[in-house]
Amino acid sequence: MSRTRGRLFTIALVLGACRTIVTAASEDLLPRNSDYDYEPPAPGSYTLPAIKTAADGALLDSSGKAINLRDLTHGRITVLGFIYTRCAAPKGCPYATNVFDQLHSLSAKDKALTLNMRLVSVSFDPDHDTPQHLAEYSEWVRETKSGCDWRFVTAKSRTELDSILSGYGQAVDKRSNPSDAQGPLYHILRVFLIDRDGRIRNIYSSATLDPRLVLADVKTLLLEETKLSKQ
Amino acid sequence: MNPSNIKTSINTHVRVSKIPKAVFAGALAVTLSCSLGTTLADETCSSPYLARIEGQEEFVYVWTLGVEGLGDGSDKLVTVDVKPDSPTYGKVINSVSVEGRNEAHHGGFTDDRRQLWLAGLDTSRVFIFDVYTDPSKPRYVKTIDNFEKTTGGAIGPHGAYALPGRMLIPCLSNAKDKGGRTALVEFSNDGNYIATHWLPTKEDAHGAADAKIADGYGYDARVLPRKNALLTSSFTGWNNYMTEFSKVTADPEAMKHFGQTMVMWDFHARQPKKVLQVPGAPLEIRWAWGASHNYAFTATALTSKLWLVYMDDKGEWQAKDVAPISNVKGGVLPVDISLSADDKTLFVCSFMDGKCRVFDVSDPHRPKQIYEKQIGRQVNMVSESWDGKRVYFTSSLLARWDKQGADNEQFLRGYAWNGKELTPRFDLDFTALKLGRPHHMLFGAKNMGSGPRLTALNNPPQ
Repeated sequence: MSRTRGRLFTIALVLGACRTIVTAASEDLLPRNSDYDYEPPAPGSYTLPAIKTAADGALLDSSGKAINLRDLTHGRITVLGFIYTRCAAPKGCPYATNVFDQLHSLSAKDKALTLNMRLVSVSFDPDHDTPQHLAEYSEWVRETKSGCDWRFVTAKSRTELDSILSGYGQAVDKRSNPSDAQGPLYHILRVFLIDRDGRIRNIYSSATLDPRLVLADVKTLLLEETKLSKQ
Repeated sequence: MNPSNIKTSINTHVRVSKIPKAVFAGALAVTLSCSLGTTLADETCSSPYLARIEGQEEFVYVWTLGVEGLGDGSDKLVTVDVKPDSPTYGKVINSVSVEGRNEAHHGGFTDDRRQLWLAGLDTSRVFIFDVYTDPSKPRYVKTIDNFEKTTGGAIGPHGAYALPGRMLIPCLSNAKDKGGRTALVEFSNDGNYIATHWLPTKEDAHGAADAKIADGYGYDARVLPRKNALLTSSFTGWNNYMTEFSKVTADPEAMKHFGQTMVMWDFHARQPKKVLQVPGAPLEIRWAWGASHNYAFTATALTSKLWLVYMDDKGEWQAKDVAPISNVKGGVLPVDISLSADDKTLFVCSFMDGKCRVFDVSDPHRPKQIYEKQIGRQVNMVSESWDGKRVYFTSSLLARWDKQGADNEQFLRGYAWNGKELTPRFDLDFTALKLGRPHHMLFGAKNMGSGPRLTALNNPPQ
């Protein structure tokens, strides 16, 4: 059995075994609320057309090691969000980090997600969000021994950052008031769902970053892979 | 901004206590202060996914149909200064022509408000402008000019509606018979094609309930994110909207080809769930903004009625007509509508008599007309500011449907609204200015919380 086929076989096996457990866990841990007042569609009942190829770029991880973004957008189903740690916008970066934390927590209870999902938080504030600062910021993730891979990365340089932000269509501006209570940078929240081959399959904003929808999308891509493996 | 959002997250979600507490403490403090401070503003009809203007709109962008023999004869994006203290208040400060006449109709900003997409109903071209680098001088970037081929046969792009990272383009027609059967089309903000979703018909229901009444027609498409609900309305195909209005109305066969339905979709799955019978060509859709207001208004052009699409006590979407628009025999052809940000007031333009009627819709099931004003000899679009104090009107419906002779007034008129009456503020004669037929209006501003530009425009000129 080839490495790819073997990987897909593992996904199918694990996904099938864990689907019931995950569904129950999702309902308990991700309740419907007034912001997302609907039942999400069932995974696999819809499709996610490719939007474009996820851009590459040079980054630093939280240990200061140079890393290519491409290495974080291939090989697993990736949920990638652009953040900065000084953000205090209520439905901005703190909210996105909270959603990522929920997904990370759920993945600890689901082997398919542990093995096949990756979370990536990319800072667009390299002057402040140094590798050392990101390491401190994400300490609680490293303390957690279970769950899927969750990386915190920052830009190597302003030039590299511009290229990455442009590639993903992430708008960022400095606020005219650097002491603005919401933080010194103005941005819209963008989170990307990227398939194993590095193609962007969905884009979320604060209005659509419902963890139940993200989870349904990740599972839809896993089911898509199992269908392809049977063909 | 809803202070309950972050509280809900903290209270109900797992393991949140391990996230740095400062992150949530800061967010909570900002949430509470924002409810007292910053004013976000915009046109009330814009996409809920759109970045908001802070304060007041500074420019009104007008997508204008070219008229043969008038000026350069081409469609153009006209920018009007509406800064109250500006020496050029109420004046045209910029105009950018595009190639030829395309039956310019509607448009929309990308969700980051960096681009303005403008659609042509006849040629199916979509023109993309940069409104970020200098909002007072929109800059042409590129054209999507292979729409029919790319989308698999959809034509007549009606407008452009911001979704996260992408644009939703509801169409009016199809290349095969140029009738009303049509689709919703998605492009990325880069202008790359993503998907085509054909509207349900009784033969091809795509799983929708009540598909026996489905006609497959399209017009507007708007989302209520909180309910994962996408609602579409229906007008008519290229054969009718590109034919003289008098010929269409005199042809009983042509009159059979107008939309009679609206469709409720599962937005995330892009799947039609239920077809609603709304006879008489339901046009613009205006979802209420209130946190518990699960309803939208539309007006039917051919039957002159206000309709309400609402969620009933059982959680089912229903549609019913809730008020007549005038008692004029034969109707007044209601066109654009605008719902105030507090969901209490609905402005309704009617093309045939050139009037704007204002309804108290505090009880959405029982609208009451409270005011009417003659805007011109014909009127089509109405755009209202978020604070409800400014209302703008334009005159053109379609090149071949506009009135003739002296009745063919072409204008942009700005008014102040004090809750009781409209007071004129400025009047631009687009014929005298040799601009053309003004149609869709969109609000622009430099003040979106941004200081120095940190990143370049995401989609540089091709």
